[in-house]
Amino acid sequence: MSSHRLSVLLLGGVLLAATGCATGEEWATWKSHGAHFASAKHMGFSLRNTEGGTPRVTRTDVALARDEAWWGKPITVGQEQILER
Amino acid sequence: MLGATGATLAQPADDRLLPADQHTSDKARTLAQRHVRGLRALNAGIYHCIPWVEVRQHSIGFFRPRGVTQDDRFLAIRLYIEQDTSPEFGKLSLEDRASAMFSRYVGAMLRRMNAADATLISDPLLDGYSVVLEWRKQGARGSSGDRPIHETIAAFMPKSLVADFLAGRLPVGTLADTARVLAWDGERAIGQLRVTAWDDNFVSTFKVANYQLDPGISCG
Repeated sequence: MSSHRLSVLLLGGVLLAATGCATGEEWATWKSHGAHFASAKHMGFSLRNTEGGTPRVTRTDVALARDEAWWGKPITVGQEQILER
Repeated sequence: MLGATGATLAQPADDRLLPADQHTSDKARTLAQRHVRGLRALNAGIYHCIPWVEVRQHSIGFFRPRGVTQDDRFLAIRLYIEQDTSPEFGKLSLEDRASAMFSRYVGAMLRRMNAADATLISDPLLDGYSVVLEWRKQGARGSSGDRPIHETIAAFMPKSLVADFLAGRLPVGTLADTARVLAWDGERAIGQLRVTAWDDNFVSTFKVANYQLDPGISCG
């Protein structure tokens, strides 16, 4: 194998390692990520509805906010590809 | 897990449960009829107490894993998990994202399934459990550019394994090692994934800011 091809392989391996593996810092950040919810939109919704009062979000508010923030019909696997009735 | 007092409660959609008569075998229909109250309680508990996830329509039921020839029946549930965009999460490999989601939700769902109906685990007709999780793939859109893409994993676990996990005899890491986990990227099947798992109490500790339970509802 030529040294040029070896260099390309080594560079590819380094890039793969850099992009394919989570660093400890990335894991720690995700694991401790408390705002793991589309909270900004829901918070805005709650504040609009409780102006001057105590902010609160009900289950109905969550459903309405989810509808407002609808991203479009997702591309996802059909349930029949996973489970049979 | 879920307590309710009083008569006026906001109710989750009842179409999250697959009706008994839409199961295709006597065994499955019997299970669905026998445990319908527990499944409704499961649905209601998730609706009120984990409001950032959405139970998919007709996804709670006693299904047969696709491709299995004998009539093995697994109590299944499929959840869409809504979460903030997270660069850290997006940078993980699919295996690592799957491991993170397995850690966060599979054990919690198995506990909820059985807390909702304590007789379930001892039902001789039940063969196993399946938890299907999907989430939005960050930064990805369909070819037309206007549709988000979801990543999905489906975990299948035999009943004996789940019983050991629930009894504290099996750590979640071993549960993940032994579970059969399949993955999809959008509609494209990825195949079987090897996931690792760790204890994650996010589901029981995370609170949506300013979220107020409906009157009469409590989450244990």
